[in-house]
Amino acid sequence: MNLVRRLGIAAVLATVLAVVAAGCGSSGGGGGTIIRGTTDQPVSYDPAGAYDLPSYDVIYNVYQNLMTIPPGENKPVPEAAEKCDFTNPTTYECTLQDGLKFSDGDPLTSKDVKFSFDRNVEIADPNGASSLLANMKSVDAPDDKTVVFHLKQPDATWPFVLTVASFAIVDSSDFPKDKLQPSDEVIGSGRYTVASYKPGQQTVLEKNDAYTGDDPAENDTAIVQYYDKSSTLKLDVENGEVDIAYRSLSPTDIDSLRDADGVSIVEGNGTEIRYLVFNLKLQEGTSDAQKLAVRQAVAQTVDREAIAKNVYDDTVDPLYSMVPQGLEFATKAFAEKYGESPDEAAAKKTLADAGVKTPVPLEIWWTPSHYGPSSGDEYAEIKNQLDDSGLFTVSLKSTEWTQYSEAAFTNKYPQYELGWFPDYPDANDYTAPFYAKDSFLNISYDNPEMNKLLEQEAAETDEAKRAQLFKKIQDIGAEEVPTLPIWQGKQVAAVRDGVSGVEDTFDPSFIFRYWLITKD
Amino acid sequence: MSRKGSLRTYVLTRLVLAIPTVLILLTMVFLLMRVAPGNPIQVALGGHLSQQEIDRRSAEAGYDKPIPAQYVEYLGDVFTGNLGTTLTDHRTVTSIIVENGSATLELTIAAMLVALVVGLTVGILAGRFRDTPIDLGGRLFGIVVYAAPVFFVGYLLQLLFGSTLHWLPTSGRVGPVTEFELDTTTHLYLIDSLISGNFNAFWDAVTHLILPAVTLGLLVSGVLIRLVRVNLMQTMRGDYVEAARARGVSERRVVLEHAFRNALIPVVTVAGLQFAILLGGAILTEQTFNWPGIGSELVRYLNERDYIAVQGIITVFALAVVLVSLLIDLINAFIDPRVRY
Amino acid sequence: MHMPKFAGIRRMAARIQEAKGAPRWILYVGVGIVVFFIILAIFAPLIAPYGFDQVSSDGMRFPKQASPSSDHLFGTTVQSTDVLSRTIWGARTAIEVVVLSVIFSIAIGVPLGLVSGYIGGKLDRGLVLIMDALFAFPYLLLAIVVAFLLTDKLNDFFLSNLFGAGIVTAAVAITVVYIPQYFRVVRNHVISVREEPYVEAARALGAKRRTIIGRYIFYNVIQNVPALATLNAADAILTLAALGFLGYGIQPTEAAEWGYDISRAIDDVGAGIWWTGVFPGMAIVLLVTGFTLVGEGLNDVLNPLIRYRRIRKPKIPAAQGQEAS
Repeated sequence: MNLVRRLGIAAVLATVLAVVAAGCGSSGGGGGTIIRGTTDQPVSYDPAGAYDLPSYDVIYNVYQNLMTIPPGENKPVPEAAEKCDFTNPTTYECTLQDGLKFSDGDPLTSKDVKFSFDRNVEIADPNGASSLLANMKSVDAPDDKTVVFHLKQPDATWPFVLTVASFAIVDSSDFPKDKLQPSDEVIGSGRYTVASYKPGQQTVLEKNDAYTGDDPAENDTAIVQYYDKSSTLKLDVENGEVDIAYRSLSPTDIDSLRDADGVSIVEGNGTEIRYLVFNLKLQEGTSDAQKLAVRQAVAQTVDREAIAKNVYDDTVDPLYSMVPQGLEFATKAFAEKYGESPDEAAAKKTLADAGVKTPVPLEIWWTPSHYGPSSGDEYAEIKNQLDDSGLFTVSLKSTEWTQYSEAAFTNKYPQYELGWFPDYPDANDYTAPFYAKDSFLNISYDNPEMNKLLEQEAAETDEAKRAQLFKKIQDIGAEEVPTLPIWQGKQVAAVRDGVSGVEDTFDPSFIFRYWLITKD
Repeated sequence: MSRKGSLRTYVLTRLVLAIPTVLILLTMVFLLMRVAPGNPIQVALGGHLSQQEIDRRSAEAGYDKPIPAQYVEYLGDVFTGNLGTTLTDHRTVTSIIVENGSATLELTIAAMLVALVVGLTVGILAGRFRDTPIDLGGRLFGIVVYAAPVFFVGYLLQLLFGSTLHWLPTSGRVGPVTEFELDTTTHLYLIDSLISGNFNAFWDAVTHLILPAVTLGLLVSGVLIRLVRVNLMQTMRGDYVEAARARGVSERRVVLEHAFRNALIPVVTVAGLQFAILLGGAILTEQTFNWPGIGSELVRYLNERDYIAVQGIITVFALAVVLVSLLIDLINAFIDPRVRY
Repeated sequence: MHMPKFAGIRRMAARIQEAKGAPRWILYVGVGIVVFFIILAIFAPLIAPYGFDQVSSDGMRFPKQASPSSDHLFGTTVQSTDVLSRTIWGARTAIEVVVLSVIFSIAIGVPLGLVSGYIGGKLDRGLVLIMDALFAFPYLLLAIVVAFLLTDKLNDFFLSNLFGAGIVTAAVAITVVYIPQYFRVVRNHVISVREEPYVEAARALGAKRRTIIGRYIFYNVIQNVPALATLNAADAILTLAALGFLGYGIQPTEAAEWGYDISRAIDDVGAGIWWTGVFPGMAIVLLVTGFTLVGEGLNDVLNPLIRYRRIRKPKIPAAQGQEAS
């Protein structure tokens, strides 16, 4: 029998067998295994080398921090520490709990804590978050259970900084002090260990039986499966290959899954925001007053509700302040000043009063891939809204992320799209980076009153006083509009029926707590 | 010079000639990546840190060393087999080649099989029954199958066989749990599962391989159909075929035994050249089916400006293609007496 | 020796006339399809009901992801744009890119092949090495990397003002991939032709190199180009779609592109929204098939080894006193 015939028969046989085996397809894991699919890929599981959410996802589950944000809340409480406090405005002292242990049996002492912070600064990995420790002068471990941080300036955000995954506690006897530990060989004291890491494919977390805390994992294994395209991820959560699909499904995917059998959509309070930035130097307008009028008029014309509904199918909420809802001290400054819905008459008046000729030409930049393809839709929508009012003519420009991220901050774009992801869920992280004189935005915004307020809130530990400071800050931000907040994203996951706990872990901290998730 | 002697010379000449080709390729790859704007830190942390901080980190990481120095380092590294470690996720490029390269290899081989089966069958039928509806149908099939964008066809197949019929899985090489449990020695999952006697895993791997291999294989079969058909028609007019017919050999045997074998010679050549198409098509197929191959890794690293990774991968890609075409030329030289050397 | 002008092309046309049966029809169908798309491309502003990024008309916003209806024959997309219009404007993008890239490739590849093949020596060897290296590069990879590198770099190029920077970028990326093919084919043919007696004769008569290449060799060699050009065009469309799918090359705000539309449509298909992807997909298949049919048809007709010639029976005049047969 010749080759062709043989090949043909083999092919037919293979197909028949495949069809027959259809019923026996594998799907999901047993009750003790949770599988989550995502399109984000991690950088490193060594805390000193990570400053991205996918890495943080695993780090929070494998290590402990001195402080952490409990599920459903937005303020730090001690985790590895027993208690932590400021002993004076620039000294922060923590006492560790008893009996803490790493997964390999090594005891966790203050020596490990000091080691973790020191190496973070020494390695200063380009992908790491050592810049968040800029305010730390030194850290001491006077005895096994005490850690003392000496800060350069008073800092009310320090407890929050301690919750950041980049500052998780590592085992000083295993981790090198001057370079990163390979991601598949990390040792932490958290609820899971990294059983296997195949870059680009999957991370497998196994329950750490040596965990000393009193809230160990409620499942045995958590598998994080990586996908290139969200469309494939959607198919797999529909078919039951994965139990949870979280970050990132498109609005169309989510809509379709709402109607699908066996899957439901879980939403939670998210704190990632999207906003429009004005470069005050490059703006249209002959005087500061005119430029301000243009910015305010845009604020009065943009219809956030339409964007949330038309572009994002309500997977985002309109945002009326740079500080998103869900964080302490968040207000709705823009709504208070301009109203929740657009007011074209007011915008017209604002421009007329300042003597600005309409329609105002606006060049707005956005980037196609970094913030997802919907940002194209979003800016098309914004353009339509602004053009339709008759007060503006918008020309949209886009360029891919690498060039965009450099050009935007080197005075090349007069108006541009930007997103923000918190380092920690404190209002400071949503104001200082944008409103301060030396903001990374580099938009020539310099308001002395704002600068002073920011300094004060950073040092102020009294909550009531801080609330007042932040109210003022957000009001000024709404008045001057150097940046225009547009929406705040919900945390959205597609979850198979029978899987619970996902809604419990959705809170402003963005910690994805695999240990809370169970499956029938 | 005897035939054997001149064959040896030919082989040596080709090998020697391959070296400047490789060098040019390496230089091109190096230049391309250095000229590309941005660096990995810019990509990862732009928009989150000040440009000054990013510039500081970039300088510290050595992204602004003079280009000639980097070039020399690069060449040296390649020739000692050290392709470096990626900047964005700290993997050695060698491990990427081995792990992801095997995935692509598995997919490519399976796709090639599909392409050969479909291409040869339809091509022979079309050539044999020239100018009949069978011929036209076959040719049209070949053309349309090549013209349909592989990423769309792939997704349609996923929908049909995965979502609607639930016959086949739609992503990955094996299911997530099997992936964790499988012992990977060769990283070719079909072989690894057989070696470790894990027949569940073997079956899992087979079912996961079907859709991507068919998608990619059909694409290439389009090219093969055309080629096989034309070659068959040409050979069937040849003298020795006429002679066979005159001897009373049945038409079927004429086609299958005489014409076929000779039609195969140029097919071998082109099959090798299809390698380049396969690698290109593999990028899109891998993305669609979440196949963790070297094509999809390349796109990802390109987007992240991880030039060490991209450099390493393209280098290996290109070397592979040079090697394969060299091999094809040598095979041809050996079996085809018309090749002059 | 005097060679009639356009001898090669005349010969080609004659062969097309003589071909029998299927090859002619294949050629005609292919040409018909290609011409159809060219008409769409040229007259897009007149034929397409709306602009490629138009989302409203007469003050009314288009519905989002609406199924085909009398208002929108092919439905609308997630951005509320009209699919029919985008498909038609996409034809313009595709034709522009293909024409540009084929012209560029031929303009660079053919002369290089001619010169290299005829002159030979070091120049030839060097060029062959470079072209082989380029040829070895997996084509999509090369296109992606070039498109990548050129993004936003061609904004001031003169052609960009005519066509748009993204289109020129995509065209250049595709050009680079195909130059080696033309080079190879032309060079090989030149090498076999340059030893022909008539070329030798011309040389002996003292004809300048330029004349020899330009008049004698060129027209002979040029026959290979049309078939290759059509296959090049077919591949160019697929490469363009692949670039658009992956997000390189043409920015969505610049022009409609079928590959990009399909990449956005992938999400839709899972939700039962088929029209956003099927129409651009069909457009790609049709146009590529069209070009391929033209290429196949030409090949069938011109390839001396497989073509059939229509046999015209000779007319034999009747013998004296008998009926004409």
